[in-house]
Amino acid sequence: MFTQLPTNTEGLSFGFKLFRGMQEDNLSYIYRGLFTQTITDSIISLAENNLESTGETSKVRKRVFSIMVECLQNITRHQTVEGEEFNDSSIPGIFMIQRKDDGYFITSGNVVPNIATPKLRSQLEKINSLQQDQLKDYYKQILEDGSISDRGGAGLGLIEMARKSGNKLTFDFAKVNDDISYFYLHTAISKEAEGSSFVPVNLDNIKSIHQLANEEEIVLVFNGVLNQESLINLLSIIEGQMRGRVDIKKKVYNIMVEMLQNIVKHAAKVEDDSIIGNPGIFFISSKNNSYSLCTGNYIQNKKVDELRVKLEHVNSLKGEEIELFYSMRLLNFEIDNSKEAGLGVIDLRMKSGNNLDYSFSKVNDSVSFFTLQVSLQ
Amino acid sequence: MESFYLSKTEDTPSIVLDPSKNIFEIAFRSLPEDANGFYEPVLKWLDMFYDNPLPKVVFVFYFEYFNTSSAKQIAKILLYLEKLSHKSEVSILWKYTKNDADMYSTGVRYSRSLSLNFEFLPV
Repeated sequence: MFTQLPTNTEGLSFGFKLFRGMQEDNLSYIYRGLFTQTITDSIISLAENNLESTGETSKVRKRVFSIMVECLQNITRHQTVEGEEFNDSSIPGIFMIQRKDDGYFITSGNVVPNIATPKLRSQLEKINSLQQDQLKDYYKQILEDGSISDRGGAGLGLIEMARKSGNKLTFDFAKVNDDISYFYLHTAISKEAEGSSFVPVNLDNIKSIHQLANEEEIVLVFNGVLNQESLINLLSIIEGQMRGRVDIKKKVYNIMVEMLQNIVKHAAKVEDDSIIGNPGIFFISSKNNSYSLCTGNYIQNKKVDELRVKLEHVNSLKGEEIELFYSMRLLNFEIDNSKEAGLGVIDLRMKSGNNLDYSFSKVNDSVSFFTLQVSLQ
Repeated sequence: MESFYLSKTEDTPSIVLDPSKNIFEIAFRSLPEDANGFYEPVLKWLDMFYDNPLPKVVFVFYFEYFNTSSAKQIAKILLYLEKLSHKSEVSILWKYTKNDADMYSTGVRYSRSLSLNFEFLPV
């Protein structure tokens, strides 16, 4: 599908790999990093906005919402052990949502101490051995036992996830070192009525995506509907996640707004015209202190040449010329519809201090897929 | 003339245009989806204010961040103020967070392109 080789093959080819992987696996969202209250709130809002924008029924929305909440609470709960912060940001957790025709699939991966894994495993095995009505009794029994730790342990959250999803929970562990392991938890949520159950899946693919995300230091991958509301949620997640220099943080924020609003305003819709917003992919990685932001979206074929000319022109500008071109465009209100680049594209070039990498690949007679990558050190 | 007040949101700035108190300020963040539409009432207000202005106006911009489509609308506001400066004594107070080099140079860029009295104030 992707025919034209971009100038920066290393970065973009990884992007392509990820895009294709996400398309194949119907992955709509990956977040990797620390899970704070603000970040988890934004992750939930982002998912809610996407479910609404794509016209999902309120019943399914509620189900996905409640399981997401349990799942994210499960991660934040395990960020501390015995009251002590143990999961530092050097071992980030991961959260993913897959959207398929028949349902939604939520997977979390977070670090747990090896000493805690036998208990977790037995809790999950116990939960999976019970039927729906038995789960209710088991839940009550644990409540009455009063054996709940202050972190809400004893697996109440896990029981809730099994109850609300109506499916068995899939889980797996992957040893990181002698002290800790990754704990993967996968929940299937059916779009149909209660009772329809999914066959438990193998989590190897999830594990390899996690590994890839770790290697590339991916912060976030979003594949879904972009509109102003999802943009604000994505910004809030990135703001909450980024550490380090304030000026870099601001630049990343600026670049994100321009890249994502480009999609909101100019991208083409495909297949479904009823969605509120435009389909697009966005990912951000922070390898070796250098940020790389990449977007992918559909564009009408008739607009391709015009955009290509704009990008080529902006990339051809050197030093002072960029600033001059920006100032000229800033105060000219007559040329907004001309073929010259808009302020957004010039701004991306200025803020990043780098050339813009891009490619177009024809999808069919009406649209192409456009990818844009902006890097900054 | 009636004053104009707007509270800030996650993606739009707070705006105060109050001749009775002599306060004119736009602050916080500006990244609306439709910047044209968002700033239209402000430009309309300034248009009316032009007919009956105060003798002295200090217009404060104190942005944390704005996107490029807002940059264009801010340029429009500044052009209105440039026009007004032929009738009233207009000055621009460009406030920015200390160490925010980008916001400072953004203000400098406007000041170079317009004949308006700019004062820069790191906060």
